[in-house]
Amino acid sequence: MELPILPTSVIGSYPKPRWLLRMYNLYSLGRLPEEDFREAVKDASVAVLREHERTGIDIPWDGEMGRSEMTEYFTSKIGGFRFYGPVRVWGNAYFNKAAAVSKLEYREPLVLDEFRWVKENTTREIVKVPITGPYTIAEWSFNEYYSSKEELAFELAKILNREFRLLEEEGAKFIQIDEPAMLNHPDEVPIAVEAINRAVKGVNVKFGLHVCFSNYHLLADHFDELRVSQFALEFANRKFRDMDFLRKLTHQELGFGVIDVHNPRVESPEEVARAIRKVMNYVEPERLYINPDCGLKLLDRRIAYQKLVNMVRGVEIVRKELAREGKKSIPFRRSV
Amino acid sequence: MIVPALIGSLPRPVSLAKKIEQYSIGRLSKEKLEEAYREHTRRAFVKLRNAGIKVITDGLYRWDDIFNPLIRFIDGIEVDGLFKFYENNFFYRAPVVRGELSLRENPIPEWINVALEIKEEVYPEATLKAVLPGPVTLAYHSINEAYESLNELAEAYANVLGELMKELPVKLVELQEPALAAELSRATREKKEDVSPEVAREIIEGLAKIRELWVVTYFGTPRVLPEGVIMNFDLIEGSVPENYSGRIGLGIVNARETKMERRDRLIDRLRPFLRKYGEVYVTPNTLLDFLPESVAWRKLRLLGKLGG
Ligand SMILES: [Zn+2]
Repeated sequence: MELPILPTSVIGSYPKPRWLLRMYNLYSLGRLPEEDFREAVKDASVAVLREHERTGIDIPWDGEMGRSEMTEYFTSKIGGFRFYGPVRVWGNAYFNKAAAVSKLEYREPLVLDEFRWVKENTTREIVKVPITGPYTIAEWSFNEYYSSKEELAFELAKILNREFRLLEEEGAKFIQIDEPAMLNHPDEVPIAVEAINRAVKGVNVKFGLHVCFSNYHLLADHFDELRVSQFALEFANRKFRDMDFLRKLTHQELGFGVIDVHNPRVESPEEVARAIRKVMNYVEPERLYINPDCGLKLLDRRIAYQKLVNMVRGVEIVRKELAREGKKSIPFRRSV
Repeated sequence: MIVPALIGSLPRPVSLAKKIEQYSIGRLSKEKLEEAYREHTRRAFVKLRNAGIKVITDGLYRWDDIFNPLIRFIDGIEVDGLFKFYENNFFYRAPVVRGELSLRENPIPEWINVALEIKEEVYPEATLKAVLPGPVTLAYHSINEAYESLNELAEAYANVLGELMKELPVKLVELQEPALAAELSRATREKKEDVSPEVAREIIEGLAKIRELWVVTYFGTPRVLPEGVIMNFDLIEGSVPENYSGRIGLGIVNARETKMERRDRLIDRLRPFLRKYGEVYVTPNTLLDFLPESVAWRKLRLLGKLGG
């Protein structure tokens, strides 16, 4: 399978339509039947998928319309977790941090239904399925049951591995493991690496790994050990500074983050093109995918859309330049 | 004797966070927000009284993190993006030091006054501490674009803090100084420079001449032990250095895990310290922000039961 050179994709989340947020609210208050809520989620999912496709993104997703939050969604589906209430992350932002209180159990598929629905509705050949990784779920949970975080993370790796096998059977080609917390404890990075490798073991799907807002020097030392073929990282946020660690990325691909997800200013196509030309000094274009820094969910929906449009336009500028060197497409690589 | 005490913050109640958000988008008046702060502080003090916590803080309800809003009241500082606060899923806004530091007029002494008034009403027997970030921790977590060295920056912060402390209507001031034990985590960013132990010690002992100090450390074992202060040690992720002989607070309850400690085990753990120091304060090991509110209070009630 071939893709245009510099394939474009998203990281995962996208602003939920306002009407869907209202549905979430009504549903949480018990004033909307579950069936109606599920239907609303599916409709929003198609709407966002179309929006991604309209921007020209090569590898879209549905913007995680069915997920309330990136760990809570998983911890509420996996048996053995309980919730004591929200915990503050900064300012007035909170999240429902779960506590592992008994042996974790895989009770039901986690994202299989989402994938089926997107696959049924997309016009693209490949979609990217984002899933929160084992170490991040462990790190963003309290642990009252397991003897160590390592044990908890490995248990989660086992559960995710089951889900990945199901996804492979259903025809998923590209799974992105989201590990924003994997560099939280510099001493525990090897545990995160091992947990990720256990989660992907024996699954013949392309795996990407997304890590954001962290010290990437801690990740670069483990590039070679990680059994993934792509790292989707954030660069616009750090103004494309300190990219030297990319010298350690010798064979895997880079998902290059060119869109700042915390700033409403829309990047121009020329700005995006400039950033791509800069990163090509470190990674050759055949190993580059282009994406935003992170999920877009905190932005206004119109701004998120315009940012994706300009991202694709910026990519097209560089594609024209590469075409002159005869570089037009790359193979879709499951592993490298 | 065992004296239960609070250090730093309480988890900010979601109901208060909602009011602050409403205020920030212009849907709540300043007066109503102030009322909400006072009402939540009152509720917290009643709960601290019922839990048997003898030395208290205002819970830092008006603070987003240990640096903010103080750094907004210092000339020479711009407030920058979010950085990970040590190895937590908790983020602080970093001070970027662009020029010489000097303290501006600020409402912090008045906030302490308000808390004191409420305390006198609902829990007069308690001792209220004011809480400020320490100069060493401020220096390590700053992006320094103005001072020659981190030592000089830490000294400049100490001057600013000293000025502020003189205005505070309390005898006892808590300095949040995790950096004495854990300088700057690589989870935050790469460390480029150090505050020397001599300077750290000297500036803290200098501040101790202005007000009685309670120096709170966590996430490790402090390498700097200033004299003439109450030192708080984190017993979960650090220990008390053998040679320490001053007044002591022990962070004995884990504020980063929901699992409840057993009272009898905590008492066993405290015995050798009681023999050596006579009087010990017992506290959570770090800020209570990292726990859900309900669990934080359960842990405080447990601490209260250690008292006496
Ligand atoms: Zn991210």
